[in-house]
Amino acid sequence: MSGGATPTQSGIPLRSGDFLTLTHALEYAAQGNTGCNFYTSRGKLSASISYSDLHRQSSALAKRLLSLDLQRGARMAIVADTSPDFLRFFFACQLAGFVPVPLPISIHLGGHDAYVKQLRRLLQTCGASAAMAPEEIVPFLEEASSGLDLTIQGGADVFASLPEVSHDLCPLGQSELAYIQFTSGSTRWPRGVEITQEAVLSNLSGIIQHGLQVQAGDRCVSWLPFYHDMGLVGFVLGPVASQLSVDYLSTRDFAMRPRQWLNLMTQSKATISFSPSFGFELCLRRLAERDRDQFDLSHWRIAGVGAETVRSEPLLQFAKALEPSGFNEKAFLACYGMAECSLAISFAPLNQGLMVDHVDGDYLSEHQEAISLDAEDWNVSPNIRESHYVNCGDPLPGCDVEIRNESGDILPERHAGVIFVKGPGIMTGYFGDPVTTQEVLSPDGWLNTGDIGYCIGRSLVIIGREKDIIIINGRNIWPQDLEYLAECLPGVRPGDTSAFSVSNSSGEESAVVVIQCRETDQRKREQLIEELKPIVYKELGIECFVELIPPRTLPRTSSGKLSRSRAREDFLKRGNWKESSELVMDASSSVSSASL
Amino acid sequence: MLNQENLLPRLYEILGPFTKEGRTLNPETQLVADLGLDSMQVMELLSTIEDDFDISVPLNIVPEMKTVNDLADQISKLVVSPS
Repeated sequence: MSGGATPTQSGIPLRSGDFLTLTHALEYAAQGNTGCNFYTSRGKLSASISYSDLHRQSSALAKRLLSLDLQRGARMAIVADTSPDFLRFFFACQLAGFVPVPLPISIHLGGHDAYVKQLRRLLQTCGASAAMAPEEIVPFLEEASSGLDLTIQGGADVFASLPEVSHDLCPLGQSELAYIQFTSGSTRWPRGVEITQEAVLSNLSGIIQHGLQVQAGDRCVSWLPFYHDMGLVGFVLGPVASQLSVDYLSTRDFAMRPRQWLNLMTQSKATISFSPSFGFELCLRRLAERDRDQFDLSHWRIAGVGAETVRSEPLLQFAKALEPSGFNEKAFLACYGMAECSLAISFAPLNQGLMVDHVDGDYLSEHQEAISLDAEDWNVSPNIRESHYVNCGDPLPGCDVEIRNESGDILPERHAGVIFVKGPGIMTGYFGDPVTTQEVLSPDGWLNTGDIGYCIGRSLVIIGREKDIIIINGRNIWPQDLEYLAECLPGVRPGDTSAFSVSNSSGEESAVVVIQCRETDQRKREQLIEELKPIVYKELGIECFVELIPPRTLPRTSSGKLSRSRAREDFLKRGNWKESSELVMDASSSVSSASL
Repeated sequence: MLNQENLLPRLYEILGPFTKEGRTLNPETQLVADLGLDSMQVMELLSTIEDDFDISVPLNIVPEMKTVNDLADQISKLVVSPS
């Protein structure tokens, strides 16, 4: 490890998240030697802050914030760059009694106006009284907040010039909010998830004690954005609550140079790092064959995968390619969770690798029951269409899970339905949005996750999103299956497709696949469409309408996930389906049902 | 010494692998609309540019770049006054 990074050993007894508040967690971590380290895109240590320094500096900043005379519980928006300043402001809010709200940095070529509009909407939704941004984002923040009623806004320097108050700090207490987290699941207005101190700490202790079984000597690496639940709760708050050192690479630097993730893992001998599936895919895609044995990944004991549906194939490719660097595929840890539950709901068992459940795909579509297949069954029988899903393990202790059908009945094992969750980590609601809150959270505390899955024993298998299901002639078609078929075509990459259904005036549904296509030759474009249709028919037994759109036009959520419902709205707006006699639709009713 | 004049040809060279065969580049070529770069390709392009010109492209200029010319402008500024 290069000089200056915080050590792996804290020098104090490990406490696994058993704290009442985030402030208590930081105060304890501050007694040890560990902390956070930030690296440049070229792998050099650019900043390092021990938890002890973080506590001292956040306390001083909290006293400055108090000079603003904001109400207790006032929201402070923090544009979440991967930097020590984010940590200082986040914890200063904890210490001063304000609620931090991390905001995304979404920077695209030519995307100035879109980003300003997004920031403005988020500031309004959380009713921010104060807003902070890294220096280079301040002009965007200023533009976004023009005319809004903010007491203060600007870069860290603006806040540094505030006077410190002399009275004692009164940090956020157990029953007060810990933060507001904007979800990426939103297809409409952004939703700010309210998480209390109690909720996040119960989830953190579950993650630390049961999901990861953190031990002395663990060290984390993360490039996940601080405005994302896995980045914030998993890799900012988690390490504080378990006194682990963490090494950060910014999300942008990871996207530019994915190998830096592996370099950092090698250099810091980190044991824990998480990513959505696409992060592993991107890394592998940008890795030259000759570099596959150039890393030392032998310390990597937990390679967590979550945040989007876990697909086993690309992960196993990653494992195989990096085996010469000591990567152990048993390190893969599938997990399931969402911002509405602080972060985690379930974890697969440690040191097992991916547990893949092979089922009869047709039977699942028709009867919503996942019948397990032996490898022999689907290898020899041409009549059985095999589908497979990754098992995301048992719910954390204290967390109850039910699989329910449309009428709300609880379903038995291996029957697919909507996943409902109840437990101490769940949000109090969406900030300022009682109507949406009521839609998903019952008075007795059950959260409708909106996801579809089934249980094997206590363990949870995720199939997809409820609202995304395509029902053709009474059969459930998972859009992931359609997208997967399209992605198998030459020139189509994962993430280039979106599948959904549209319905005609009598309610009959048709499947649509939209593909981002780089091909400009008209004949080849037509070929692609003509190639896909029979494959879909063969595999799933349905007709589908295929539309090619320019690259980079599929709508994504703030965390980069594709949004099928917005892809569907865009599709209906483009109106290309009108040319197809197969699809006669009432556009207005389709649009309104899409935005339900 | 790098100036707008000899910068463009180098930029065309870098953009080559990101460009469809048969398409010619000019200063007004739009990076997203014309070349169809997706967000991951943009990141790849930026890392190539950083390495090639030995500069660091700050986050906040990315949203202001639409055309090849915008890109050249920003690079020439960064090369003259390294950040």
